[in-house]
Amino acid sequence: MNGSVIAQLVVSGSLMGLVYALIAYGFQLTYATSKSINFGQGELVMVSAFICLTMTNLGISYWFMVPLGLMCGALLGLFVERAGVRLALEQKNEGWILLTIIIGLFFFSAAENIWGRDDRPFPTPISSEALQVAGIRITPLELSVALGVFAIMGIIELFKRKTLLGKAFEAVAADRDAAELMGISATKTIMLSYSLSGVVAAVAGLLVSPITTVGPTMASALVLKAFSVAVVAGLDSGFGVVLIGLFLGSLESLTSYYVGSGWREAPGLILLILALAVRPTGVFGKIPIKKV
Amino acid sequence: MIKRLFLICGAEALLALLMASIPMAVNNTFVLGLLTLLTIYAILLIGLGITVGYLGQINLAQAAFLGLGAYSAALGVTTFGCGMLPALMIATAVGCLFGGVLAFPALRLEGPQFALSTLSFMALTATTLNEWESLTGGAQGMSVPRPPIFGLMLNAKGFYWLCLILLGLVWVAMRNLLSSQWGRAFEALRDSPIATDAMGIGTHRHKAAAFILGSGIGGLAGGLYAFNFQFLQPQIFIYDLMVILLLGVVLGGRKSLWGAFVGAAIVVLLPNLLSNRLLFQIFSGTGFVFALIAGARGLLAKSTRPFQALAPVVAMGLLVFGGMFVDNTEDWRKAIFALMLFSVVVGLPDGLMGFAARLLTRLFRIIPAPFPAASDLESVLVCRQPTSEPILSVRELTRHFGGVRAVDGISLSVRSGSVHGLIGPNGSGKSTLVNVISGLYAPNSGEMLLHGVPLPRGSLFQVARRGIARTFQNLQIFTELSTLDNVMVAMKGIIRSPLPLVLLGLTGKSERRVQADGLALLELVGLADQSRIPAKDLPHGAQRFLEIARALARRPQLLILDEPAAGLAHPDVIKLLGIIRRIRQCGITILLIEHHMEVVSDLCDIVTVLDGGRIIAEGRPEEIKRHPKVIEAYLGARHVQSAGEPVAAAPELMPV
Amino acid sequence: MLVVDNLYAGYGKSEVLVGTSLTVKQGTVVGLIGPNGAGKTTTMRAISGELKPTKGTVMLDSKPVQGLDASRIARLGLAHSPEGRRVFGPLSVEDNLLLGAYHRLPRFFGFRSRAAAELERVYDLFPRLMERRRQSAGTLSGGEQQMLAIGRALMAQPKIMLLDEPSMGLAPVVVDEVFSIISRLKESGITLLLVEQSASRAFEVADYAYVMERGRVVMEGKPAVLQQDARMVAAYLG
Repeated sequence: MNGSVIAQLVVSGSLMGLVYALIAYGFQLTYATSKSINFGQGELVMVSAFICLTMTNLGISYWFMVPLGLMCGALLGLFVERAGVRLALEQKNEGWILLTIIIGLFFFSAAENIWGRDDRPFPTPISSEALQVAGIRITPLELSVALGVFAIMGIIELFKRKTLLGKAFEAVAADRDAAELMGISATKTIMLSYSLSGVVAAVAGLLVSPITTVGPTMASALVLKAFSVAVVAGLDSGFGVVLIGLFLGSLESLTSYYVGSGWREAPGLILLILALAVRPTGVFGKIPIKKV
Repeated sequence: MIKRLFLICGAEALLALLMASIPMAVNNTFVLGLLTLLTIYAILLIGLGITVGYLGQINLAQAAFLGLGAYSAALGVTTFGCGMLPALMIATAVGCLFGGVLAFPALRLEGPQFALSTLSFMALTATTLNEWESLTGGAQGMSVPRPPIFGLMLNAKGFYWLCLILLGLVWVAMRNLLSSQWGRAFEALRDSPIATDAMGIGTHRHKAAAFILGSGIGGLAGGLYAFNFQFLQPQIFIYDLMVILLLGVVLGGRKSLWGAFVGAAIVVLLPNLLSNRLLFQIFSGTGFVFALIAGARGLLAKSTRPFQALAPVVAMGLLVFGGMFVDNTEDWRKAIFALMLFSVVVGLPDGLMGFAARLLTRLFRIIPAPFPAASDLESVLVCRQPTSEPILSVRELTRHFGGVRAVDGISLSVRSGSVHGLIGPNGSGKSTLVNVISGLYAPNSGEMLLHGVPLPRGSLFQVARRGIARTFQNLQIFTELSTLDNVMVAMKGIIRSPLPLVLLGLTGKSERRVQADGLALLELVGLADQSRIPAKDLPHGAQRFLEIARALARRPQLLILDEPAAGLAHPDVIKLLGIIRRIRQCGITILLIEHHMEVVSDLCDIVTVLDGGRIIAEGRPEEIKRHPKVIEAYLGARHVQSAGEPVAAAPELMPV
Repeated sequence: MLVVDNLYAGYGKSEVLVGTSLTVKQGTVVGLIGPNGAGKTTTMRAISGELKPTKGTVMLDSKPVQGLDASRIARLGLAHSPEGRRVFGPLSVEDNLLLGAYHRLPRFFGFRSRAAAELERVYDLFPRLMERRRQSAGTLSGGEQQMLAIGRALMAQPKIMLLDEPSMGLAPVVVDEVFSIISRLKESGITLLLVEQSASRAFEVADYAYVMERGRVVMEGKPAVLQQDARMVAAYLG
């Protein structure tokens, strides 16, 4: 084994790992407020990427398109909340699992028919010419993925810790009914969490599409690994998803180099099932207290 | 009785007859192919229905079990030269095996995490099947010859009949299982996993058993699938198939064998329906009208929320409207599935068969089978002679939550055959103490002994197995089960039936015994005449009594009653006193948490008073009432002086 | 300030409140007492909107509020400090307090300075919270959590405060402390509806009291009068 090959694999793997972490972070946002996640999050990533691509093709400049794309992501997130989640939460059942899968399926089929089944390149102003840093090849495009992931997660974490609205967000996560008594509307907070989660999905779409190209199935593999990351890290630790994301990403690129590219999905899935066997609430998750 | 048998079994026999005779009447390979697929899917969906319907968990791995079953049956034939039956057995066993491998970690999870782990398992299976080319032929696929059965080569018709017979067997076995103690346990653990554990029914292992069973059936269906198509590709067993399977279960209706059949029929027929424009329009139009009527009725009767009434109408409307503009409905297959599924999940949560079943029970009033006569109470409770030895002793027990020391070094010993009262102000740690003893919480430190032997820590199930039964302050009844079934569930570990006999439907005798014993306990608490009512419809007081009867069904040595009088009206309190005395006569030791002084002073031999997680007094009830520390705990330090005057202190002591 | 008339509410099929009526006048402390399971906490929950009443009216400041969401009622000036304290465990003490004032603070920036005066008042009242303001609320002792819960409700500058069983699970010494704070609040003119299991505790601070039993008010009057009433015994025996 060659040290620099491993380093190279680890670096490029961790960059993908950051994308998984970002999508997983989108699950955490909604899980915190409502104990629900959008099983169709991958479709949100894909649809927002397609919308951004369409806007670019219409001649809207990249930097103007970005905020519009994020807004579309937020709207899609809101739609999922309204159509798929709210009723089930009101009835206190788990119908939202099925409904978000169903909505994802609908988005998938619609995208397939509207934009076609082929993968398309996504134009970006950021160069993909490799730089050599300490013997490791890395492109500005890849760097932009890392920067983008840290930026959006940083902004949201700052929002959660430093603004009153963000603290209200955490209050709803801690005790929904008590938060209502403080005048915090849980429904609105959940809507906010879903729209933030939609924004996160749109950011993920924008960041990865130049690398993976845009197509209906672009996110299905991504989201599967994001699920693994979210469950392994636990659904309530933002720090945890980044660590696990980085770990999984590198593990994956090593596996695909040394075992075979078809097996690249395997470590994530095995890691997931193993982690569940050892610690069902996730490595960084909190163990809830049973109540009677 | 005859009418009941006729209606239920008759319908099943009729369906079987009809299904068996179609290929004789219609000689068409296409129809035969559809029918074969229908039976295979029905088997598969019965398996999936166990987890989705009975356990109430979204299982996304059934497609993987189908695939695993299919490939292992195929490999059994190609590699080992197995016959049809051995190959199918291999398929079933492989399904069970992988079901077990997945169940033990995954079933410790609830809801989304469970769904995620099954989803990952499915993806892992697909990857493995695709990549392990030396074994599976990879993406190229592998062809499977249809092996002979008992040396006989089956043609398409024969194979269909084989599938049908297997469906019949699975159907009957599942009906037997689900109407036995096992089925009741499965339903109970969805309502309250805490209570099933406390009733000595290991929640986790029962969930795993149900899941393994469902996976095994999935594997069997996989084997049939392989021999039906005689060609396998890993791409078949992925996400798309899983969505179709969910569609089948949800559309047909959960918790119903008929539902699985109807679901399978829809899943098989739907693709053909979509390719024909006219049929599609008729179908979607009917759906739209149906949603419109149901929605309007729901809105007018105010029985549904506006969203629940309107969303299916919008979804079905989109289906009708979209269908007019789209060139090829086949391309939009997934969107159409999505819209239909959405409407059903939102508008008809019980599925088509759930809806039909409600309609049918209104049309035909079926008289349920009569119950046997109640057993003798003495034989049910197994009376013991009290030994006056301590049955339970607890030493230096502590349990904190964050900064709150709920139980802070409690030592206590309960004499055999006594009624031991545990009182204290709200939040003094009474409930936490019994939650630690009964295994809901593990203690932070300290020891607990039952008959001098250490009790398991932090496992309701294992503590229950040692002969401690309890009730809950916040009721944990099995709401969906009937009153009698609630009691019968708790007897699962007491009167056992071996699984093979259950599957063959040969446990009628022990089933009647369980019924008789359950009725005896219901008589004790005065609920015998309400044995068929769903427990959720009982009034609050009756639900408390039901919990006592259920705990007694465990034949406990020690019965923990956690505030049995909370929220009871006065006549019910009197009744409660009578019941507790009767239980005590049988020599069952009782640990009683109570607020009502009346109950405590009437019943208890000894009373322990807790405050702030510590014991502040212990003694006979009349001593306790005068104990200065007790008065202080309830009234605050300033009142201690006036405590000498019993008259002035009395009203303030009462809220004890 | 608060008028409750013929209120019905319950959980699922079981009705807990069957026609509760009570009135809290501005600037008074009203005690709500009764045995366990009488419906005291349910009354509080039905007033604050945590539980939707099935029948009856709740007038806050002569406006009907029954059936509104809890968050809406809170914004109208009712602060409910619930049974079991329910502090936000993972958040710091100070964040808990700031959230108490949520509905009258800016959502994004500058909320700390806007709440500074109120925060200081609460810290004056509970010096111990000041010491622990950076600590997460879940690690506080039971008594400190109760003080935090009261402080959090005070931060809202409510027109009326509902305080549910402040003595629950606390050692007698701590209860004394809590009640001396309630007395101080009373002197400052707070309007308070207090649920308490120990009648004598409630009588210490209340201007007026209601006795509940099985979902309705069975007696009411000034504490001095109620204390002499023989029927109190009956009510408590429930």
